[in-house]
Amino acid sequence: MALLSDTRYLFVRYLKKLVRNPILLFFSLFQPIIFLTLFTQLFQRFASVPGFPAGSYLIFATPGILLQNAFGSALQSGNSIVSDIDTGYLQKMLVTPVSRYAILLGRLTSDAFRVVIQSTIILSLAFLLGATPITGIVGVLIMLLTVAFFGLAWSGISLAIGLKTKSSETVFAFGSFLTFPLLFMSTALTPLDFMPDWIKTVSMFNPISYTVNAVRVLMIDGFVWHTILSTYLVIGVIALITLGTTVYLFRKVVS
Amino acid sequence: MAHMIEVRDLVLVYSNGIRAVDNISFNVKKGEFFGFLGPNGAGKSTTIKVLTTLLRKTSGSVHISGYNLDKDAKEIRKIIGVQSQETSVDGDLTGRENLMLQGHFQQLSGKTLKDRVDELLKLIDLQNFADKRVRNYSGGMKKRLDLATTLVHRPPLVFLDEPTTGLDPQSRSAIWSYLEKLNKEEETTIFLTTQYMEEADRLCKQLAIIDTGKIVASGSPNELKQQIGVDSIKISLQDCAKDKSAAIDLLKSLTGVANITESGDCLIVFAKDASRLIADIVRAFDSLDIRLSEVNFSSPTLDDVYLQKTGKRIRPEALVKTPSRGFGGRRR
Repeated sequence: MALLSDTRYLFVRYLKKLVRNPILLFFSLFQPIIFLTLFTQLFQRFASVPGFPAGSYLIFATPGILLQNAFGSALQSGNSIVSDIDTGYLQKMLVTPVSRYAILLGRLTSDAFRVVIQSTIILSLAFLLGATPITGIVGVLIMLLTVAFFGLAWSGISLAIGLKTKSSETVFAFGSFLTFPLLFMSTALTPLDFMPDWIKTVSMFNPISYTVNAVRVLMIDGFVWHTILSTYLVIGVIALITLGTTVYLFRKVVS
Repeated sequence: MAHMIEVRDLVLVYSNGIRAVDNISFNVKKGEFFGFLGPNGAGKSTTIKVLTTLLRKTSGSVHISGYNLDKDAKEIRKIIGVQSQETSVDGDLTGRENLMLQGHFQQLSGKTLKDRVDELLKLIDLQNFADKRVRNYSGGMKKRLDLATTLVHRPPLVFLDEPTTGLDPQSRSAIWSYLEKLNKEEETTIFLTTQYMEEADRLCKQLAIIDTGKIVASGSPNELKQQIGVDSIKISLQDCAKDKSAAIDLLKSLTGVANITESGDCLIVFAKDASRLIADIVRAFDSLDIRLSEVNFSSPTLDDVYLQKTGKRIRPEALVKTPSRGFGGRRR
């Protein structure tokens, strides 16, 4: 089937680009590693405050840092489509019989794969620092799947912005503008009960909170399926909206 | 001979109201080397984008190898190769990987594709660099690779949008040789746009000269030049502003002068026997104390054809181009 084989070829193309530019992977990991090594040290004593839901701040914050990385990374995916537009490569693909949806799927799957690689590095480092997931390897695999799915959903919005504006500056600015406000107004780095009321309210509607909670239960509590499954529902709705918008814009551009 | 491309009353109006292609009609025969000659903004690239299914036309009809552009875009994409103005190869991949990927886009695989890639690498003389990353290639090497990627599936019709713009003379000559070979040996129909008169003259068997979206002249390069029927004499004066009007009056009185046009250098005189007329011009100007700084004459060129049809020249500075982003209009 052309869609699958074309997606595979384009996935491999993006993968080669990633492997051949390891500096990009390094810089994208720089911020989460700083958070993992310094931020968790800075707030180490946070864990001794009564009511703190975990044994250490490191194990509490690791899921948040994973999501911070996935979110930030996904919001920069649109840059690749802008680059393909600028260099004429997208146009070059469009005058061939290549499956139009494969162009999009190749990009999205490679972005999700990149998030999995980054998340594996972050989890390995967290493990070395002392954060051991209670659910073991199966839990880690579900965590990676959740983070990849979350990244996939948010990549869509970045690709849509890239397709609409054809400007990498706009994609970058949008990503930077959204990442920290949404991160700080979620349960990524602070327990819900420790927040001021207004942030608590925002946090309860923040999709990052749902996803962080699912990864966190796998890290600290075990297989709490209702939390995990409700998270997949939330991510699914986001994916439906963002990917639906992307497909709509992409069809307008290419078909 | 059957037509590979048939275009009737083609119009493309961009969403901002610009009429980029204005009611043009032309045919390209199978196996023909056909050229669109014109300056920047003439509508050459827009026409290619319509014919290659990238832009949706406003009106008119287009048939490619018998396929209707409106209904059979997918079939058309299988039989065309397209090289755009931008050198669109992936710098992070090797030359071989670029060709293989393009082959996959054309649904080729296995030994057939591998052999074809080897053949193309040999054709464009990149065997020794095949496994090096393209970002390290020179501009000429990238352009050759880009051309090869359009040929990977042996398309019977190739569109080339200014394939040699920005290249050094050596690389340009190499590309010209590949294209001539492709047209002669594989009988590939080639549709080429260019701003270079020399390129159009050497390669194209049939030409259409396009200006502001309209075809202003068409025929073989020789036919077009014969339409001029006269030589041109370029006259530069030491004080053009002061002496121009007296010079024009004087030139009009000389026998054999067919037409006089003002140009950047001062004046251009079209005449049947320019070499004889030069002596008369020099003597006449001398008698009126009009100081000449330079006089040149030449046989008709395609630029003269363009000048006669549009009143403008295809200026060399127009060759310094701003790369188009290619997404200015409605897409198919």
